[in-house]
Amino acid sequence: MRIALALAALALLAFATPVLAAKTDGSPAAQFVQGLGDKALTSLTAKDLAANVRAQRVRSLLRENFDIQTIGRFVMGNGWKTATPAQKSQYMSLFEDMIVATYTKRFADYSGQSFKVTGSSAVSDSDSLVKSQILQKDGPAVMVDWRVRKKDGGMKVVDVVVENISMSLTQRDDFRTVLNDKGVDGLIEVLRQRAGKPAGK
Amino acid sequence: MNTIWAQGVSRKLMTAGLCVLLAFGSSACARSVNPETGYKTGINDPLEGMNRGIFAFNNIVDIAIIEPVAKAYNFLLPSFFRDGVQNFMHNLRSPLIVGNQLLQGDLKGAGVATARFIINTTAGIGGLVDVASAQGLPYEPEDFGQTLAVWGLGDGFYLVLPIVGPSSLRDTGGMVADGLADPVRIWAHDTDNDWIYYTRVGVEGLDTRARLVRAVEDLRANSLDYYAAVRSAYSQKRQSLIRDEKAGDSASIPDYDNN
Repeated sequence: MRIALALAALALLAFATPVLAAKTDGSPAAQFVQGLGDKALTSLTAKDLAANVRAQRVRSLLRENFDIQTIGRFVMGNGWKTATPAQKSQYMSLFEDMIVATYTKRFADYSGQSFKVTGSSAVSDSDSLVKSQILQKDGPAVMVDWRVRKKDGGMKVVDVVVENISMSLTQRDDFRTVLNDKGVDGLIEVLRQRAGKPAGK
Repeated sequence: MNTIWAQGVSRKLMTAGLCVLLAFGSSACARSVNPETGYKTGINDPLEGMNRGIFAFNNIVDIAIIEPVAKAYNFLLPSFFRDGVQNFMHNLRSPLIVGNQLLQGDLKGAGVATARFIINTTAGIGGLVDVASAQGLPYEPEDFGQTLAVWGLGDGFYLVLPIVGPSSLRDTGGMVADGLADPVRIWAHDTDNDWIYYTRVGVEGLDTRARLVRAVEDLRANSLDYYAAVRSAYSQKRQSLIRDEKAGDSASIPDYDNN
């Protein structure tokens, strides 16, 4: 039995072809993401930055480089179809505020991580998936993929995938419960509370 | 040795049979794919009420006990030590990984896992150092739940297990099968040292939890419905593991301007 196992193991080794390290290519999408990462690290991570200054920088980087309309609409899922224009605009504004607040806090907690693009591939006519790693001083690398879309003559991020978990899809599933329980107004209200704004129109 | 191993395998097959029966008994085994995202539509969660209750309980225990222990572990022990622990745990999983790769018909995966086991056990000092990854042989987790999925079994429905956390009907059955067939458990049991197996389970759990500290904090703070967010993340992770995480398989985001 033992000998049979050993022989089987030897046979299996024939199939063990190593994975070649992905080359960092100079594709436009890869360069775009590397540029975004570099910009973020230089302008958003300083320790002594005032919170509102950091938030403002996050917001402008976000508007420049992310397709917030598409992401927000995707995350709202079926709610978008039934929302009035007024609700849509309230939602989009609160959605953007929420992302800004989240990332402002994350960058404030920054502790020496570095960012490296490791490759990219086209996944459709308009989209590329750029693979990157966030390297921590004290822990394993985190795999982050960026779905980048050609838009308006430039590029915009439409999804961030952390360790194969899509942030947009997760948020969409998250919001769905609130939408089902409380409707679009309920969702807007929850987002408003999150942002610490007073209840109202 | 011969009969014990065979017993493990036959138990695995029996559990598999049980899973098949249970899955057919439950509704909606295979779910349709959402055309917008390319991912399976909303996770089947008929036991949501019960699951939310268990989830809430798990969260209390986590915040009170498990998370503090995980944070202390991260704080007190240097990363090379913790990496050694994870490498050792991964290495112990090798027989189950090789077995499941073979059951899935993935000869290349089985070969890589076998090579990893040999290289890391020898050059990697009993599995403490992951030499194989540097050689271009990355760790690929496999379990019987994934095997059942590859065989075409739907996940049945979402299940939150006490303490263990998110799972599914199929994956729970898979975990049981892996546990039964695990050579480490069998050896520990046969030498009357079950504590070794339980310690290993505990340490593996701690290692996993410790690596997720930031992710969990993030999800807790930023999700509107923490339960739904975890359920979504779990489902996506399982689907990506089952597909062996091929590139370009992530959710596709619709192009609203051009539709």
